[in-house]
This record gives sequence, C-alpha cells and structure tokens, in this order.
Amino acid sequence: MRVRILRQQTSLSESYWENFRVDVPKDMTVAGLLDHINFNDDIIDENGNKTTRIGWECSCLQGICGACAMVINDIPALACETFIKDLKKDEITIRPLRKFPVIHDLIVDRSVIHENLKKINLYIGEYHPVKAKNLKKAEKEHRQQYDVAKCLKCGICLEVCPNYVNGNSFFGALFANECYLVSSRNETEKKEILKNYEKHFGNTCSKSFSCMDLCPMKIQTIASVAGLNKNSFHN
Amino acid sequence: MESALVIGSGIAGMSSAVELAGKGVKVQLFSPFPSERSQSVMAAGGINAVLKGHEEGDSIASHIEDTLKGGRYIAGERAVRGLCEGAEDIIDHLEKIGTVFSVNESGRPDRRAFGGQSHKRTCYCGASTGKQIVSALIMEVRRFEAKGIIERKLWRFFHSALIKDGVCYGALLFNEITGKLEAYCADAVIIATGGQNKLFGKTTGSTQCDGYAAARLFMQGAKLKNLEFIQYHPTAMETYQKKMLISEAVRGEGGRLFYCEGENRVYFMEEKYGSGGNLMTRDVISREIDAVKKDVFLDISFLGRKEIERRIPEVKDTCLKYRGIDICNEPIPISPAVHFFMGGLAVHLNHETNIRNLFAIGECASMYHGANRLGGNSLLAAIYGGRVAAGEISGRRVERESINYADILEHENERLDMLRQSKSSFPVNYIRDMVADTMNRDLGIVRNREALERGISDIDYYLSVADRISYDSSVLMYANYSLKGILTLAKATLISAEFRKESRGSHFRSDYPKESKDYEASSIISYNDGKFDVCLDKESVYES
Repeated sequence: MRVRILRQQTSLSESYWENFRVDVPKDMTVAGLLDHINFNDDIIDENGNKTTRIGWECSCLQGICGACAMVINDIPALACETFIKDLKKDEITIRPLRKFPVIHDLIVDRSVIHENLKKINLYIGEYHPVKAKNLKKAEKEHRQQYDVAKCLKCGICLEVCPNYVNGNSFFGALFANECYLVSSRNETEKKEILKNYEKHFGNTCSKSFSCMDLCPMKIQTIASVAGLNKNSFHN
Repeated sequence: MESALVIGSGIAGMSSAVELAGKGVKVQLFSPFPSERSQSVMAAGGINAVLKGHEEGDSIASHIEDTLKGGRYIAGERAVRGLCEGAEDIIDHLEKIGTVFSVNESGRPDRRAFGGQSHKRTCYCGASTGKQIVSALIMEVRRFEAKGIIERKLWRFFHSALIKDGVCYGALLFNEITGKLEAYCADAVIIATGGQNKLFGKTTGSTQCDGYAAARLFMQGAKLKNLEFIQYHPTAMETYQKKMLISEAVRGEGGRLFYCEGENRVYFMEEKYGSGGNLMTRDVISREIDAVKKDVFLDISFLGRKEIERRIPEVKDTCLKYRGIDICNEPIPISPAVHFFMGGLAVHLNHETNIRNLFAIGECASMYHGANRLGGNSLLAAIYGGRVAAGEISGRRVERESINYADILEHENERLDMLRQSKSSFPVNYIRDMVADTMNRDLGIVRNREALERGISDIDYYLSVADRISYDSSVLMYANYSLKGILTLAKATLISAEFRKESRGSHFRSDYPKESKDYEASSIISYNDGKFDVCLDKESVYES
C-alpha cells in the first residue's frame, strides 16, 4: 500500500509530499500505520532513501482526546479511529488540518480555538439551569449538555466548515456548542452570550451543518443552535 | 504567597490553579498541550463521595476504611481522612461550576457501585466522568484567565526545577516552538504531570505521561515513594495502537472469565473463588490470569443484545470498532495491562515534597492509595490534592529569597546543545522501546529477585550509554533530553520492588508470597550522584 504524507519540517519551511510503501493489516487505524512507519530505527521512503520520523500528535489513542485530528484522503478525521479497511482508495493521503498553522508535519497549532473562547470569556461560573417545561424536555436538555461537554476541541468542525476561515470573526460550531452549554446551565449569563453567539456564529453560519457529519463525538450542533434560538426568541 | 507555577493541566493541575486564583495567587499554568488532551479525560468510572442521602449504612468512616483496606494499610490515616471528609464539598463545587453529572430524581449526582467498596458511593457522568470534569474546569480556568490571574502557556515541557539549598524557586521549561529553555520563578511550584505510563510502552493510559518530571526531580534531590505499587487492570484488549481498557462494568454486569481447554471453557475464577470469582479485586484477577498462561476471554454475550446495548454500550462499540468483535455473540480476548501508579513523589500532608516550596499532586504524587487504589478515588485525590496544595501555598508567607538562575540556564542550554550534536549507534527511541520491554518482562504482575536483578542490570547498561545517544531531530527535543531521567526512574522502580520482600496489594513476589508486618510502611527511595538509597518510612515522615 502506498501512503502519501504532506510533510513540513518547521513552521517556516516549505511543505512537500513524501511517499512510503507499507504492508500492514487492513484492520489497523491510521494512527497504527503512522506508528508502524515511525517504529523502525531507520525510516525509509518509497525510493529507498533514508528520511526522518513523521511528526504527529497523540495522547489517548482511543478517540476521546482529539490530538490526532488530520486530513485523511481529503476527509478530516481522528487518525486513531480511522481504519484502513474503511478507506476507499488503495493509496492513502495524509495531510495536516488546513485551517491551522503547521508546526511540524501533521502537528498544527490549534490555539486559536482556546483564544477565541477566552476572548468571549465563556464560563458557567454558577450553576443556575434553565428550568425545563417537563421531565422529558429536561432529560433531552441534559443529554444535549452532556454530549456538548464531550467536545474534543479537535478542530474538525472548523476544518470542514464552509464559513470558517481563520477564526478572526466566525468561531464555528464548537463555539456555538459552548455557548449553548453555558447558557443552558447558567441562565444569568444568557443575554451576554446570545449577543456574542449572534456576532461570532449565528449571523454567519450558512447551516450546511457539515460539522455534524464529521464530529468525532457526534455532537448535534443543530440541537444547540435550536436551543440558543429558542432562548433568543424568549428574550 | 503571591505566585505559583503549576506544571501539568489535567484535573489536578487545573484544580490547584483555580483554587489558587480564587485566593488571589497569580498562576502560570504550563503544559505541552491543551487540557482536552490530558489523561484525565480518560477517567470513565466516577468519583467517590459520601453525600447527604447516602446509601443506608454508608458513612465517611466506611469510605476511609475501604480506602485504607484497599491500600493494605500503608496509606496515611490522616491523609485518607481528609480526602474522604473533603469529598462532599468537592462534588458540590463540581456541580456549582456546571459539571454535567448523571443525576437522580432529585437532580443530585447519581451514584453507582464500584469494586472494593462496601457501599454505592461513586458519583459519575455517564461513561465520561473525567472528560465532563475537565470541560467544567477548563471554563473555570478560563474565567481566571480573563481576569489575568491565571496565564496558560502551551508547548512547554518540564525540564528541571530551580533548586538551591533544598528550596525551590521556579522551573526551567523547554519551549518546543522556539526550541529554547525558559526560566520561570515563583513563590511555589506545583507538579501535576501524571503517572509514569511510558516506562511500560503501551498501557491503558495516555502516551503523554512518562514520569519524567518526577524522575528529574528525584535526580535533583526529591524523594520518591512506593514506586513498586503499580496497578494492573485485569481486562484490557490488545489493539495495534494500545491496550484498550475493558471496563470493570462488564464483570459487574455478570461477565465471566474463561480459557479454553480443547472444546471446553474453563471458568477458572469461578472454579477457584466460587460464584463471586469474576468480581475479585483487580490485583487478584490479574495474578490469576497471569498464572493461567493461556489466552483468556471475557464473555458477556449471555446478557443479550438489548441489555448489552442498554447497560454497556461503550464497551460494545469499542470492541466492534477496534477489533471487529460483536460482544453480543462472541467473547472478548483480554489480558492485564498497566493502569495506575500508586507510587510517585513523596509528599507530606500539605502535598509539599522534601524540597521546600515544591509540591506534587495527582498521579505523580504518592498519597492516599497505599499499595492499591480503589476505583473512583483517583479523580477525588486529584482534585482534593490540588485544593490542599493551593490552600497551603496561599496561606504561606512570601519568602523574599531568590535565585540567580542565569548560570543554571546557560549551563543547561549548553547541555542541550551538546545533546543536539551527539551521534552514536543508540537512537533515543530504540532505548525507550528497550526500557519498556525490560519493565514489562521483569516488573510484571508477579515479580521475583532474579527477574528484578536482571532488569536492574539491563537498565544499568542503558544508563551507561544514555549520555551518548544518537540525537533524533525528528522527535521532540523533550524525547531526547528526558531519556536519562526515565532510565533513572525505571531503575528506582526496580530497586524499590526488589527491596520490598513481601507481597502486598498490587506488589506480588513469588519468592515472598505473604504480606509481612515488617514491611507495613511505605518505601522511600532517594538519589545522590548515581547512588540509590531505599528504606521504609516507619516513622511516617511522609503522608502525615
């Protein structure tokens, strides 16, 4: 199997493609594949030339930390839960997420995500939940809050979003979900949050919701948006 | 005190940072990656606390006794008492800051049963308790970041502490973006860098936790405690990329362990221990699996698809996703895997190490768990320890002494430059892999003198070449400079295991299979210019 990897030695150097030939089981993940290439003492490319180890980020290796987000065969995904057998082509192309600055090979700097959340100063502070009308609704809200708090901040929703460019003004789905979580668990914060939500998400989102198709935690951003719009209406 | 460095931004690090900030202490919070990548997010099960409306018969005294008993009576009684008494307030605080707990009819955190505990007292958030707490704490940290009281600094790896005459004044951090060492001074330093997973290669935990910070501090004069106590989780599933934890909940729901003899299944735990055999403690089951010397499986298929999907959906998904195994129809192949380190930096009741103004919290500190940890007590200890350290620091008077770190910084930068030039036939990653092989072979579930001495001899060899490794520019600088510390920690762990000539909790010696009164104390190991000294803390100098 041929593996093409877009590499970049430092944040300032040029990127280039490097190809590898590997023979690995199909039920291995892309994380396992990268480990396999890196495991040898000498790393050899497809032409038999010695090269350097491939830089990539990982921590949990089981889909709950978001470190290994990258673009695999043109689709942003977590390497640790993308299986070779599920990839349609015989050739695998791997590149870093495109909407974040590259630090080294497949490692990108996603600090804009945290900087934007910090800028808006989103936090629950005191638990003052919005009172649901009935038990069923309360359970539904609780489920959505639980799901949203599982957000990995991996950046995949931003990578796939047609509206997200660089995080200067539009902050993307993870921001909308965070707004929902905070406003639903602390009613007193709602007004200020809604203002920022409109400015940095609501007014720009074209509702393609491609973010939901690829979210590793399957967060239903549309439900968060509905919750926030409902709050908007009440105000 | 007015300022603190917190190194590590998982649950322990963030808890201490928030607590310090709340008391007006300025915090710089360092980690290589954001908190979402910390091992804390992997803690699934829950957090123990005896709350109002507890199960009949439960009490704080019962939580204390369960914890001490689980730790085979070498954890500090006063420390454990503080932990258990502080638990309810911690749950209240986590609720207040918006943690999404699974709740009961009255809207309070629901509780589930956990191994080794006499009552149902483990509060939980579905199957992602750690992650939900991390999410809530990140927001709290953000609140103080906005006020300028906490400053987060990413891409910083711990290098060493700034220590003079037994007092800590700050730390050197390596910035992987600029490729330079940076010096930071503060009134106090808190280490919250997690356990030493990477000594063993593939474990159930994060690849980021390697024990280097504790190792380097050990080489700088900090004492380490109870390193020999390593918890093996009996049911992990091997995958190409890691050992995937199969939750204790499977056995809780009736899962049966067996191996095959010809066509027949041998339910070895039930045969030996009766109907409750599959629910024996983690250390007992791990040893029994190890003794079988055959492929062992865990079967839950008899529960039926509907109940499996209702009660343990995450386990079903994990097995299907990573091994293509449908647990509704077939058993799960399992084996024990390294899961938690009870040992680490030796700390006093206030979480201060033997070096003044240097504190340690969370898994990198050895406290509360003795010879074995109860499920649900690690999240509690991480938060409680963070609060205790923060309380001590905020209440302490500022000492106006300082350190001239310019010479230290220059010296350490020169050493890194020398490392960058080094070339030999020993690539750093090769040695790291070899260390993991040695540790898994010689410091397994069942230990003996011969194996431990062989392990020490192997590590000695790697230590002899550690100063002339082949520098690998394609891995992090950190991976290069941390090697010697990791080897030193590996050796200290093997020496501690050899020293304890008895079997207690998670430490089992085939040549000393009985628990001995003579060893009913923590082991303390210290380092002085290449020399290791180990003794028992019979006077309870630490954890008291």
